Amino acid sequence: MYGGGYIFEESKNGQTETDDVNKLENFEARIAAGEKIEPADWMPAEYRKQLIRMIEQHAHSEIIGALPEGTWITRAPGFRRKLALMAKVQDEVGHAQLLYSAAETLGKTREDMINDLITGKSKYSNVFNYPAVTWADTAIIAWLIDAGAIINQVANSKGSYGPYCRALERICVEESFHLKYGHDNVVFLATGTSKQREMVQEALTRWWPPIMHFFGPSDKISVHTETLMRWKVKMATNDDMRQKFLDMYVPKIWELGLVIPDPLLKKNTDSGIWEYTEPDWQEFKRVINGDGPCNQERLAVRRRAEEKGEWVRKALMRTEEKYTVPLS
Amino acid sequence: MSDKNIKSINNINSIISIDPRVTREELSIVPDVDPIKDLHHWQTYEVFHQTKKGDRHLHVGSLHAPNPEMAVILAKEQFARRYKCVNLWVVSTGDVISTGYDNEDIFDTTPEKVYREAGGYKVMERINKFKKERKQST
Amino acid sequence: MKDLNEIQTTAVKDLLYRIADDQLILGHRNSEWTGLGPILEEDIAFSSMAQDKLGQSQALYQLLNQMGEKDPDTLAFTRSVDEYKCCHLVEYPIGEYDFSLMRHFLFDMSEAIRFNMLASSSFEPLAKISRKFKGEIKYHTMHAITWINQLGKGAGDSPVRIQKALDECFPLALGIFEPSDYEDILIENKIFFGEKELHEKWYDTVVPVLKNANLKIPEIKDPEISYGGRKGKHTEYLKPLIDEMTEVYRIDKDAEW
Repeated sequence: MYGGGYIFEESKNGQTETDDVNKLENFEARIAAGEKIEPADWMPAEYRKQLIRMIEQHAHSEIIGALPEGTWITRAPGFRRKLALMAKVQDEVGHAQLLYSAAETLGKTREDMINDLITGKSKYSNVFNYPAVTWADTAIIAWLIDAGAIINQVANSKGSYGPYCRALERICVEESFHLKYGHDNVVFLATGTSKQREMVQEALTRWWPPIMHFFGPSDKISVHTETLMRWKVKMATNDDMRQKFLDMYVPKIWELGLVIPDPLLKKNTDSGIWEYTEPDWQEFKRVINGDGPCNQERLAVRRRAEEKGEWVRKALMRTEEKYTVPLS
Repeated sequence: MSDKNIKSINNINSIISIDPRVTREELSIVPDVDPIKDLHHWQTYEVFHQTKKGDRHLHVGSLHAPNPEMAVILAKEQFARRYKCVNLWVVSTGDVISTGYDNEDIFDTTPEKVYREAGGYKVMERINKFKKERKQST
Repeated sequence: MKDLNEIQTTAVKDLLYRIADDQLILGHRNSEWTGLGPILEEDIAFSSMAQDKLGQSQALYQLLNQMGEKDPDTLAFTRSVDEYKCCHLVEYPIGEYDFSLMRHFLFDMSEAIRFNMLASSSFEPLAKISRKFKGEIKYHTMHAITWINQLGKGAGDSPVRIQKALDECFPLALGIFEPSDYEDILIENKIFFGEKELHEKWYDTVVPVLKNANLKIPEIKDPEISYGGRKGKHTEYLKPLIDEMTEVYRIDKDAEW
């Protein structure tokens, strides 16, 4: 699920290296013609770097994203919810597996990526640094965060890198179950007893700011962004995706009688564009840089999981064999 | 969101989480962490999936496993837990030989090779001519 | 067999509760690993098997419901601790992965044999359900045998860890076979072969696998050491588990979740 608001690194001189002018021209022509790039193809160093960064962040977001909802895995009420939540969190782990494989084809091993995750060197979607305070939070996450993720992933699945597109195709199929499950869960709470309604309204109020943060701040129009879009690494602007999300889901939230905590939120009937209170981007930055309510816990948990699994991985290592980069 | 869910207990310094599973782990908060130096990479395997008997096996992805036996066990749940499947193959990635995309041009063949296409064989005209000649001679 | 008489009904219900409660509690325990497993691929496999367990327990509670008991959610989420009939093995916290894997192996091997026996039960609804579970359980045992065999012969401290896990789990596993008050009725009426026969078959099946994995079978002086669960006497671990599991369910008794 959950690949939103990627942080791309600006290259130092604001331009990409041109490894070879002819190769670059050929590469860009192929992308412009809608062809996909495969692992063994020539690609600019900058393309490889940004893709690794993006797919890795996406994979981390899946595996860390398993934690907020996992918070309630032992407490889901009733068989139907218990089984569905288990299957959903399991899917997030499965998505991480698919995405790490896709990133590995670009030359960075899964273990290196996980190392960068647990040492705080590489990032994941900011929303997962917030806690799932009650059961209703898992419902809001499963519905609205996954909805945001789908918008992002459907766009990215039309990108230029073959292995990433293939992984996303598979992921999108599973996400549609998540979305349905999340919606079903929210509907039951919103149409349920007064206690349930209260729970779900509180959860929505808590999660609205992180949801608005989810797609990231407005993109700076720079040479860099233009290059990434020309290379079909970045497929849509953050604002476009946020607008699309609001368009699709605000009416669905309102029809349940839930209140979105933004008095300015409305669709401008002339322009067709949603207007909203500007999200607090200072907080967004602060949380990304480590000072969110759950950053430390998330990384500590992931670290513990790695430590606890180490003897298992070690036990079955065959030292005589060398690791091979997966094919596609 | 101001309510911190992590409370450091002075003398224990372990995380009290909303997630009871996490609380049970008694995790301590360590601000700076060294990377794991001793990395353990298992092998990678390519997975092929057959939806029903009679269908071809199709490549569906790859996975990490320490040996082929374990690869099959693990592939089953990652690649066939919700798709209909009757058979899985796993192949060690290192055993796959590929032509390589830098050799993609070896597949560009000259278009004159009609001798190996059905359309390259048009004998009806000849047969008709032959039939006509026979008719005339009798 | 067409209709069960009163005592036969009681005997079957008792059997169903024992099996379903085992699966519910172990499925719940194993689900705790979701997202925290030793490697992504195994995390996924282990979660699937936990889901299978819960799904199977739900089906068995459903059968109990058809026999006049309450609905599956009520049975699973509202009983008091002493009403559960699970064995002690499934109640223990997940521990390290060696413990969880060994428990999974010892338990699922017994389950495979149990359902194989029940597939020919004279009580057709149970026989039918047991046949339906066959594929899932077969995968569970393949998974368990492969792991135990490989880790038993693994590098580093793996063999020591697995042996220690076996030493801990083995006496607990004997609690699976604690006889009920209705063994004779179940056996006479060909409903189930009984715990004694299950225990013997299980022993004959797991011992070669363990030996092949270079493990030593622990000597057990008192085979009844872990009895009690089937009569509602549980370890200290069950109550907190049930409290946690039912936390949300109990928030609002009128709610539909």
